Amino acid sequence: MTMTKLKEKLFSRAALRGIIAIFIFIALWETGARSEQWFGYRFPFLGLVPPPSDVAASWGGLIGDPSYWQSWYMSFLRVFGGFMAAVVIGIPLGLFMAVNKTFYGMAFPSFEVLRPIPPLAWVPASIIFWPTQELSIAFVTFLGAFYTIVINVLGGARSINKQFLQAAQSMGASQWDIFRRIVLPATLPSIVVGSAVGMGITWEVVVAAEMISGGGSSGGGAGGGLGFFIWSSYVGGSYEQIIVGMISIGIAGYMSSELLRQLGGFLTPWLKTR
Amino acid sequence: MDQFVDLLKSAMPFRMVPDNLIRDIAEICTQHSFAARENIYNLGDIADDVYIVSSGSVQHILGADSGTSQHEKIMRRGDMFGWAAVLEGQNTRLAATSSKEPTQVIRINGKELTRLLETDPAVGDVVMTRFATMINKEFSVPRSIADLVPGFKQALTAKSLQGSEVTTMALTVYRISTWLKSPRPYLMIIGFAFVLGFWYLSVEIWKLPRFVDMPGPTEVFTEWFSKDPYYGLSVYTPEYYKHIGISLRRIAFAFFLATGLGVPLGLFLGWSKSFREFIFPLFEVLRPIPVLAWVPLAIIIFSGSETPVVFLTFLASFFATTLNTMLGVESIDESYSRAAYCLGASRWQTFIHVVVPGAMPYIFTGLQISIGVAWFSLVAGEMVSGQFGLGYLINTSYMMIEYPKIIIGMITLGIIGYSTSAMVRMMGDYLMQWRVRELALGDN
Amino acid sequence: MSAVLNENADAAGDVTKGAISINDVVKIYDPDGAAVMAVDHCSIDIPAGEICMIVGPSGCGKTTLLNAIAGFHDITSGSIHLDGELLCGPEKPQAEPGSDRIVVFQNGALFPWKTNLENIAFGPMMAGKLSKQEIYDKARSMMADAGLSGTENNYPGEVSSGLRRRVEIVRALMNDPKVLLFDEPYRALDSLTKSVMHEALLEIYYRNKVTIFFITHDLEEAIFLGHRLIIMSSRPCKPKKIVEVDIPHPRDYSVLTSPRFREIMIEAKDVVHEEAQKAFDAGEKEG
Repeated sequence: MTMTKLKEKLFSRAALRGIIAIFIFIALWETGARSEQWFGYRFPFLGLVPPPSDVAASWGGLIGDPSYWQSWYMSFLRVFGGFMAAVVIGIPLGLFMAVNKTFYGMAFPSFEVLRPIPPLAWVPASIIFWPTQELSIAFVTFLGAFYTIVINVLGGARSINKQFLQAAQSMGASQWDIFRRIVLPATLPSIVVGSAVGMGITWEVVVAAEMISGGGSSGGGAGGGLGFFIWSSYVGGSYEQIIVGMISIGIAGYMSSELLRQLGGFLTPWLKTR
Repeated sequence: MDQFVDLLKSAMPFRMVPDNLIRDIAEICTQHSFAARENIYNLGDIADDVYIVSSGSVQHILGADSGTSQHEKIMRRGDMFGWAAVLEGQNTRLAATSSKEPTQVIRINGKELTRLLETDPAVGDVVMTRFATMINKEFSVPRSIADLVPGFKQALTAKSLQGSEVTTMALTVYRISTWLKSPRPYLMIIGFAFVLGFWYLSVEIWKLPRFVDMPGPTEVFTEWFSKDPYYGLSVYTPEYYKHIGISLRRIAFAFFLATGLGVPLGLFLGWSKSFREFIFPLFEVLRPIPVLAWVPLAIIIFSGSETPVVFLTFLASFFATTLNTMLGVESIDESYSRAAYCLGASRWQTFIHVVVPGAMPYIFTGLQISIGVAWFSLVAGEMVSGQFGLGYLINTSYMMIEYPKIIIGMITLGIIGYSTSAMVRMMGDYLMQWRVRELALGDN
Repeated sequence: MSAVLNENADAAGDVTKGAISINDVVKIYDPDGAAVMAVDHCSIDIPAGEICMIVGPSGCGKTTLLNAIAGFHDITSGSIHLDGELLCGPEKPQAEPGSDRIVVFQNGALFPWKTNLENIAFGPMMAGKLSKQEIYDKARSMMADAGLSGTENNYPGEVSSGLRRRVEIVRALMNDPKVLLFDEPYRALDSLTKSVMHEALLEIYYRNKVTIFFITHDLEEAIFLGHRLIIMSSRPCKPKKIVEVDIPHPRDYSVLTSPRFREIMIEAKDVVHEEAQKAFDAGEKEG
């Protein structure tokens, strides 16, 4: 995008409207949060929240603090680990289930039976099973994204237009060729969508796991990460930091999803021409 | 036979019928010859066959019963008469016919022709419509009589189920019976056997190192179904249902609140461009924050231990529902709202009659996602704060080293989670009968 | 003015409303700053009650013209009038959609969530001038006239596409429109169903006097149905040749094999083919 295009987009009516709404939101937040200070009357709910100005100040201080960035790093590491595991195991599993009807018949019902169990319900079982806390968090993280990715891959592979496969067969393609050149590329968009959604779930799980195991009942252990940061800020009474943490995770999550979407767009150029 | 085929094809109702069906019709044709000025049939005779003139000419005089305005007609090669044989409820001839010169005709039995056309309802319907048009146009017979041709519309819309009587119940029964006949149930059982078997073997028989502390299936299932459980929790204890009930109550409250707020918000976001330009960016800024990151803030804002948990669940559900509803509105084909405007509907009327019903399938998909997400958040919330509930159960069981209860809790969660999701889906099917029927009858 | 139409006035009846006048209309799309001219100074006069067939290659802008008349798009310059009243013009670039000009869409726009009867009753129900009973009675009788009795309580998804088309046309006619705008409605139907649809359409036309603006790429369909063919050039679209179809109404299937039909085909074919070739070479996507 050229500079003029960027400026056009930024200052377009739509963008301006969005920015206005966000400003109003922040203004209301500030007023509500400082209501006791300014008006002597504490606004319900909002009155208890740290005001944006304090949050901004706190954040300014944290940017120089290495342990803050350490938290970022830890969370990213866990997200990356769990997500990669989900991708590496989930995509082949999904593809295999789509291609082999017998395997699908055997594996899918069990998969579907286990899926409704929320990943976080696995935390205690995971802690019992895995030797280190890191691995138990990683396992739960993996589960979160795994289900989504498999479902999306399955859906994508099964909705491939049969005529593509027939066309390939009539041109004499082998099973492996068909898989590599038709099934795989045709499923790619679903893989991308599944991964993007899975990424979002991964962040949810990582944060939760960090809060539960780092700050929850299991006590001690690896800790660290943005989830733990939020929890310890709460326990330590520095409420502005809670919000800093929340926003940080939001940004981190958004960045990773966006990265995935760009990667996906790069892998599936043919979708852009719609 | 071939000369029949050519003759058949030249008759108006049979034009453009596929060759295989023409040949089938040709098979049931018989040929007859008449001398000059010979009577073929009279008014009031039994109407059994349809006639097509092959050569020569036939004088055709319609009686008063036919309601025609043009009584006399001369038929030549390719012309069809005797069509009373295919009219429903008309057993007798409406005309008197005789040959003017030496004439050859082919005769087709009316009932057999109808039966033959029934085998391909799509084509049969068209042929019958052409019959009606021919009777109306060429014989100037009013439509009330011409339309007595049989219709195959009912056959068109039923494969194994009647068109207007497709119900969810019938569909479910049909689906279950098909499923039982396939290899699928057996593969499913094999799959379960694998999983359970693996669990059993690794914990209780082989006693693999990692699995040492895990409770095995025997332990879990005996505990779950025992009248006097060791750890105090089984299907016979009221405590079990207390936990389930509390979790369900929280979910219900949060889910319905999220739906009640999220669906209208999503609808407006999808429908009004200005509204979306204002509100959606704010929405998208808040959405990436993981719901669980709100836990401490929720605890600060809301007093008590119950409200934060419900609030979290609500939040997760709310974002999912709103987003999916909005996407649903955007996915509706533009033609529908354009058609509504053309037909004179106002913007508001279009919203109610087009946008809301049109978005319903997407809304319900969103609701299924939303309830899944709700359970996810609820369990997390219950594990961190709150009293009672399945998440709390799992967490405390771990702390108190009552491991079998963990598994019981997990399995219960799975069952209940699945059931609530299925209930949402069934609600959707009930509200969208049109979609159930559309999907059931395949592509049309 | 079409001489053909006046000759056949008794077939069409005395029609006084629905005359469309398209004057020097230009439509330029502006995607990503590259101006794309879809309609290039197009002027067409359609007398009331005429079946006007717009024939042209894919992507040439015929649908843009239809959308302008219907009020879905604006025009860059020029004006369109209906019976002397302004639809869109210099002061008012976009017409308002209304029930005097009803569109029958290419892929059908019957509401899948309403039964056939409810669909047909939609227009008058929205207008709210008649009671529900009156509207439904009228709907039922119009369905009977069109041979649709028995399908009132079916949903569109349950019946064949041919039947759906007829329901859509009846839905439009319930509102006494002056003009029916057809956007290649029979494109997706097989030829057997198509031929029945054509005769059904003509039958409906003989009963209800409306102006018909019909877009198609099927030359046979155009000559069979129309009073006049307006053959458009490839993008940007502009009338290239007008062919009068002086075959008398009422017409039936036998027209298709008549010598006059063949003659008109020959007259039109070369022009159509030439424009189709241009569109093909330019790699046009179907509209």
